[in-house]
Amino acid sequence: MTEILGRRPALSFLICVGLFLLTLVLPLNDYVLHILTLSLIFAIFASGWNLTLGILGLKTLGHHAFFAIGAYLSAIAAFYGGVSPWLTIWVGAVLAALAGLLIGLPILRIRSMPHVAIVTLAFAEIVRLIFSNLKDITRGELGFWGIPPFDPVSFGETTIRFGLGNAWGSFILVGLFFFAVQGGLLLLLRSRPGLTFAAIRDSEAAAESLGINFGAWKLAAFALSAGIVGLSGAIYAHYVMILTPTSVAGPEMLITLLAIIIVGGAGRFFGPLYGALLLTGSLELLREFGDYRMLLYGALVIGFVFVAPQGIAGLKFDRLRRRRGHGTNESSSSA
Amino acid sequence: MLRLEGIDVHYGATQVLWSVDMRVAEGEIVAIMGPNGSGKSTVLKAAMGLKAPSGGRVLLDGREMQDASATERPRHGMAIVLERRRLFPRMSVHENIVLGAYARPARETKGSLEWVLGLLPDLREHLDATAGKLSGGQQQMVAIARGLMARPRVLLMDEPFLGLSPAMVKTVSAIMRTINGEGVAILFNEQDAKLSFALSHRGYLLESGRVILSGSGQEMLDHPEVKRVYLGVREEAAR
Amino acid sequence: MTAPLFLEMAINGLISGSIYALVGSGIALVYGTTRVLNFAHGELLMIAGYLVLFFAVTLGWNVLLASVVTLALVGSIGAAIQRITIAPLLAREDWAFRVIAATIGLSIFLQSGAQIVWGEQFRTLPYFFDGVVSLGGLRMPVQRLSILVIALLLMGLCALVLYRTSLGRIVRATAQDAEAALAVGIPAGLVHTSVFAISAVLAGAGAILLSPILTVNPWMGVSFLLKGFAVVILGGLGSFGGAVAAGFLLGLIEAASVMVLPTEWRDVVAFTFLIAVIWVRPNGLFAGREA
Repeated sequence: MTEILGRRPALSFLICVGLFLLTLVLPLNDYVLHILTLSLIFAIFASGWNLTLGILGLKTLGHHAFFAIGAYLSAIAAFYGGVSPWLTIWVGAVLAALAGLLIGLPILRIRSMPHVAIVTLAFAEIVRLIFSNLKDITRGELGFWGIPPFDPVSFGETTIRFGLGNAWGSFILVGLFFFAVQGGLLLLLRSRPGLTFAAIRDSEAAAESLGINFGAWKLAAFALSAGIVGLSGAIYAHYVMILTPTSVAGPEMLITLLAIIIVGGAGRFFGPLYGALLLTGSLELLREFGDYRMLLYGALVIGFVFVAPQGIAGLKFDRLRRRRGHGTNESSSSA
Repeated sequence: MLRLEGIDVHYGATQVLWSVDMRVAEGEIVAIMGPNGSGKSTVLKAAMGLKAPSGGRVLLDGREMQDASATERPRHGMAIVLERRRLFPRMSVHENIVLGAYARPARETKGSLEWVLGLLPDLREHLDATAGKLSGGQQQMVAIARGLMARPRVLLMDEPFLGLSPAMVKTVSAIMRTINGEGVAILFNEQDAKLSFALSHRGYLLESGRVILSGSGQEMLDHPEVKRVYLGVREEAAR
Repeated sequence: MTAPLFLEMAINGLISGSIYALVGSGIALVYGTTRVLNFAHGELLMIAGYLVLFFAVTLGWNVLLASVVTLALVGSIGAAIQRITIAPLLAREDWAFRVIAATIGLSIFLQSGAQIVWGEQFRTLPYFFDGVVSLGGLRMPVQRLSILVIALLLMGLCALVLYRTSLGRIVRATAQDAEAALAVGIPAGLVHTSVFAISAVLAGAGAILLSPILTVNPWMGVSFLLKGFAVVILGGLGSFGGAVAAGFLLGLIEAASVMVLPTEWRDVVAFTFLIAVIWVRPNGLFAGREA
């Protein structure tokens, strides 16, 4: 489990919360807040996907399908049904989780890496095409605009507004979602079900001998992973307030998230956060070279696969482990 | 002719062979005997270059083979018959056998094939059969034939008797003697002490990745340790 | 359905199927021999498209010469991709996912590289062949029919190489048992690089055949990669013949779907078919038959 969570997950989590609170008092301009908000949304997406990659050990490539399902279905419910986004995002998340069940059943049965990768990628393509083709509802590639933002919240005199253009409020809101999801996952991973996940990961045979029905567990974990990604999609929809099938379920989304995961550390709990912040940070530096963004992402993925396949979170862990290793060597030699 | 000096092998962080020394002289049959998981197969794979040792040297005629990749060893007079035959299952017997000569000059192929079919005449009628469809014993013949096509001076055989019927074990032992009679040295491994040392001129006993005993076949059979642990257990189990 | 209409559907299905078969059989050959999934395979089509455009249009070479030079270059590029980005990863642990990630990165890198170099202009090649064939009341441009014929010839040639040459023999041996192949002295590196080159040539041929009827653009490989993958899974992972058969089958299914549904649902039908097959027959439609 240490391999996934790092050595002191609770402490790292609190440091992240502290840094977030610190950001709130800094005089950041709206553009920076916008970038940070997006990167937190992508970090939620990445932690949902990471659950499948890291803990289930299934190398899926189609989680942007769940992002699109969460985004579009929540947006459709809010836009056509007039329901508050505070409620529709859960509709989006649950429907994404159900879609996860649908696609999870066959791929959990196969498990062969090429099958899993290709089938999930094909599923994402189906989802993209469906949203693109249902033009009467989604306006296809012209863009589904006019999606309502989250309703404002009032605390006595002050009213906090959300959505694009209300950078500060949106940042706080997305931050809260991010920490709620991360905190929930952290609790889950350290609880009994979490240990079950770890057992599945380490040895299926051993878990089976303990009488754990891991088929059901894995399916549940996969659905949870899809649901979290769907939630991030729904939050995204009500933040940017316009969707196109290509922007949420196209290849750029896949490579962006893959870069975040690979750079951060696939299968590491804090990997997505590191990856999302680093990539959005480096993008900020390269803002003028917008055309080169995908070129850079492609190169980053290749570079990290070759040089630091465990990502940033992995680097830290390896160093700690080496230090610990040294400690035991010294104590044994002195004894 | 073939010497292993201080071979260490690791799988990941686990060490499976510890400073193994072995030698095979011209025209010898040498057995590696040991229980399951003692590292017998790993010795053969390290000798053939299919598993890179983490320490030690493999010498053929005094020439160090450390740098030679697995693909070069057949050229230097080594061949291996892998555990469980490992034929190319969807190719014909003929194709399987001819592929054994891959490392040799093409002009030798025809002569080698005649030599091999002379030693294993039963194969002649199966040349067009699909290798994967043959019986275990027939597959073992094809695997041996494929190994011989490299015209080796040392033939490594990994568990040549695994999964064969008692009659087939006799046949394969006889073939091994015949091959040896043609001047080919053989290094093979086997779990059964009696079978190993009755067939071989010399033998090694491997336990937990270390050579703990070596000697001529008869010496090994007569050794009290071998008698007590390997022959004794076997006799009790037989009763 | 009238007979000419049915014939047209079948021929259109076979024509697009032949391209899927070209792309898919290359992917299957590479996977079957090396266990590598190359997500940058589609970009070989794209590169071939730009190369043939450059030689045949910009330099004004004769189409045959342009095609031959293009195929030679694309084959070398395929070999180079294997040597530079894939071979070094194979020795490491967890290499299967690393290769997938690295080749996805490479694919995006090449796409945006092409976009920067050539821009977003969409260009096509003039027809190689003039004329129209009449088939039972159906008129088909020779250019379209030539796709089917040339693709079949190329795959036949490829099968000939696989089953009748010594290179083909060592490729099949490696595909059937990599360690046993190594043990008899077959150099794995040479085999791996050769199959990448062959698969790149097959993909490049697909691009050349398509370039007069489709536009060459930086993203042209993406949809063919997905179709190629679908074909490989349908045909039974790693089976050359299975991929060829599945390629034609997928083309026919798509052509049939266009008769019933609007064109934009064609790919939805194709990929849904893939997932449905995976539910029922995880090992593909022709399980048990491999190269």
